[in-house]
Amino acid sequence: MRPTAVGTPVDRADARSKVTGTACYTVDVVLPDLAHAVVVQSTVPTGRIVRIDAAAAERAPGVLGVLSHANTPSLAEVPTFPQGPAGQRRPPLQDDTVNFDGEHLAVVVADTLHHAAQAAALIDVAYDREEAVTTLEAGDELPPSGIFGEAPDSVRGDPEAALARAEVRLDATYTTPTEHHHPLEPGATVAAWDGGRLTLYDSTQWVSGVRDAVAMTLGMATDQVRVVSPFVGGAFGSKAMVWPHVVLAALAARHVGRPVKLVLSRAQMFTSLGYRSPTVQRLSLGARQDGTLTAIVHAVTQQTSVFEEFVAGAGYISRSLYACPNVAVRHRLVRVNAPTPTVMRAPGEAVGSFALESALDELAAQSGVDPVALRLRNFAEDEPQEGLAWSSNALRECYQVGAERFGWERRTTEPRSMREGRHLVGWGMASATYGVHSEAAAARVRICADGRILVTSGTQDLGTGTYTTMVQVAADALGVPVERVTAALGDTDLPPAPHSGGSQTAASVGPAVWSAALDACSKVLALAEQGDSYAEILTRHGIEFVEGRGDARPGASASRFAMRSFGAHFAEVQVDPELGEVRLTRFCGVFGAGRILNPKTARSQMIGGIVGGTGMALTERTVTDRRLGRVVSPNLSGYAVPTHADIPWIDVCFIDEHDPHVNALGVKGIGEVAIVGVAAAIANAVHHATGRRIRDLPITPQTLL
Amino acid sequence: MTVARPRTLAEALGALEATPDAHLLAGGTDFMVEVNFGHRRPTDIVALRRVVELQGHEHADGHVTLGAMLTYAEIEADLAEDFPALAAAGRTVGSPQIRNAGTIGGNVGTASPAGDTLPLLVALDAEVDLAGPEGTRTVALDEFITGPKRTDRRPGEIITRVRVPRVTGPQQFLKIGTRNAMVISIACLALVLDLDARRVRCGLGSVGPRPLRPRAAEDFLSGEIDWDGPRAAPGAVRRFAELVAEACTPITDQRGTAEYRRHAAGVLARRAVERSLQS
Repeated sequence: MRPTAVGTPVDRADARSKVTGTACYTVDVVLPDLAHAVVVQSTVPTGRIVRIDAAAAERAPGVLGVLSHANTPSLAEVPTFPQGPAGQRRPPLQDDTVNFDGEHLAVVVADTLHHAAQAAALIDVAYDREEAVTTLEAGDELPPSGIFGEAPDSVRGDPEAALARAEVRLDATYTTPTEHHHPLEPGATVAAWDGGRLTLYDSTQWVSGVRDAVAMTLGMATDQVRVVSPFVGGAFGSKAMVWPHVVLAALAARHVGRPVKLVLSRAQMFTSLGYRSPTVQRLSLGARQDGTLTAIVHAVTQQTSVFEEFVAGAGYISRSLYACPNVAVRHRLVRVNAPTPTVMRAPGEAVGSFALESALDELAAQSGVDPVALRLRNFAEDEPQEGLAWSSNALRECYQVGAERFGWERRTTEPRSMREGRHLVGWGMASATYGVHSEAAAARVRICADGRILVTSGTQDLGTGTYTTMVQVAADALGVPVERVTAALGDTDLPPAPHSGGSQTAASVGPAVWSAALDACSKVLALAEQGDSYAEILTRHGIEFVEGRGDARPGASASRFAMRSFGAHFAEVQVDPELGEVRLTRFCGVFGAGRILNPKTARSQMIGGIVGGTGMALTERTVTDRRLGRVVSPNLSGYAVPTHADIPWIDVCFIDEHDPHVNALGVKGIGEVAIVGVAAAIANAVHHATGRRIRDLPITPQTLL
Repeated sequence: MTVARPRTLAEALGALEATPDAHLLAGGTDFMVEVNFGHRRPTDIVALRRVVELQGHEHADGHVTLGAMLTYAEIEADLAEDFPALAAAGRTVGSPQIRNAGTIGGNVGTASPAGDTLPLLVALDAEVDLAGPEGTRTVALDEFITGPKRTDRRPGEIITRVRVPRVTGPQQFLKIGTRNAMVISIACLALVLDLDARRVRCGLGSVGPRPLRPRAAEDFLSGEIDWDGPRAAPGAVRRFAELVAEACTPITDQRGTAEYRRHAAGVLARRAVERSLQS
């Protein structure tokens, strides 16, 4: 069937409901007799709870109940991702230990949010405080037990010998701070019990993960839990796993015998849904005089909580982006009295690329090779770590097209050599790459006698456009206009689908929808000759609807090919030489990411990734008080994400790429590759503008003076 | 918690007399943040937005009186000709929603060291009108703000108006923040060349415990400027910038270091003068 909807800039299916406010997010859910829960969090980084005095809170107006470790039933641990769906293995309110500032210690339920908040403030906690490790620098480095099933350390070739022999050598340390996702919609759960059955409305990237985690921790059968999440107000990884507040909402509702809504405050978001770990990355490069890489050693130190391990493999990008015979990657962890970190947009690559792509720029300057030429020189014809052929790789085209669109050839070589008025102008670039992921997914497509088509799958739309793209896929499979097709998503009663993370939703669910649509189509065609419309055939047979089922799982190609998306970023900054203010004035991102289902929603996603990377580069940083182990200014004034006024027009371009190996649709996934390398491109542009190499993010005005 | 919503100044004063510890609520853009963060738990509130005497602005002889409930949005729209630097300062506050809510009386009464309208008001020798149980009084703004978030407002008093002298001559407002909008300043500066009085007027924000007036710097440059231009030698402008930097008493916080703030104030001072002078 010739595609007519896929690949075209179809308007977002949920646009009208979102801009008119009728889209019902979790925070908007209202149920009869709904009560409200407010979480009380610890105010010390480590120690024991000597006493929680909830008497005043329990007597306060409207209060229905208070849960703390004193009256919370025993809960089962849930393994953390990828072994299990939990963000934090340790269940809440189980004992008197405190492991980080901002840990949930109690939950207060009242008839109104106001009453719950008022009562929460009356809870008096006395602690026996202990000595805390509050920063990455203060703890001992330990090797992690594994990183998403991979070894934390790996060596290919002989990097030390190659470094010793290198004609050009670079050793540098790069750091990135703690960063938070801060989706617009905070973590939110509404829990409603009906006898032994539990319904959860939750803002999540993974409805079935929430179902499984809550069932496991409460000791319930999974079919007794339903999770509904039709709209998610952003996530970026913060809702990829299941965090303790979801369980607290379920417990609170059971405790008071009423449906309960629990919405985290923005301040609580700093300690409740994970964060991107800070990194210290030591990078050594060896190269020949012409810039050909001979060795890369990428050693990363990150933090985890004192009670469990989470680590994103920041160093892995150095194994697969460039052709280099000698590469060593090492990951270490420091246990800190802080929450468990989690995935955040392009976990690993987002921060690892800052180090690697900054170092490449330093190597370019040191060896006198143009930064684009240096990367072309080190292009990997095959995947360098495993030696597999690429399923497709458009990185060279990304460099070439990006350089043309940006006007890279007009770049002067010397730093501080371009000016606009009193501002120094700098141009920088960086590569982007992110792995292609997919998991088993199921979908159903129903063709109704009135001609309407309904697509259903228990996947999620985080604002990325799943509603729209799945409609496009079904429309093309059935040969009908998109206006006839609607989708229902975000419900565990629908066919199961994996978590919406790792840029895998379109690549996982798209093929399932495609196959379900073909199945439905064949069922209709079995009834009649071709040429009639679906509605005519079904009506003639007196059939209300037929339903096709589709299951898709990753194919065998994954073992024969290396599959990644690629991209190239080009940034222009203007720097005020007297004040150190950096303004991003131009940006171009070019991506080879397989088939683009919808260039409009895809472009939005790439812009979002580039804006996120701009925040990494220039403004975003969570500051923790070293003495208190507490986040300083836990709000969106203290944690500055870019505003519209900080972002110029962004040129996004996709290379027309046909990958027959990744999946039936040729989709690679786009959510994460967009942010990889952005911070490095901007830092490299700052270096070109000023001659100053900033290796510690974010690049604030005072770091440039 | 009680909330009084008076419609006249007399009712407002009466409400304040009935609940002497009440917090006065104007636009709420600072106060509600403190409530939401749990830093304040008010028991009584007197909301001033409906009080008729506190609305609008009036041109009088030599000055403009700004009603305490005049919003940043109104300042942007209505006062850009009278006080271009005040309008410019108003435009840098928060988002449009915040500018529809925040008021000049609130900015003065909150007395944040980072209050964006305060440097210009101090530079222009603005005065604050207060009404209270003892009657009304007028205080110079520079004396009214006594420290970080501290003022000379006495129990039972309400800020009714801010009187701002009209001054002929160029005005500038410059602000540095961690991003281009919705940001608390790291440093800000207002500058006025008072052509009639032949006097340089300058106010500084976020570089001390309260809005600062660098008087030694003003005196120096006032004597150096050729007021018929107005023109000034580059060396004099540089010296002015140094004196402004010296007048700062900044602290280091999450937004910026003391050293950066002092340096930035000097750069802003020089740029503000350069933009105001005839080249």
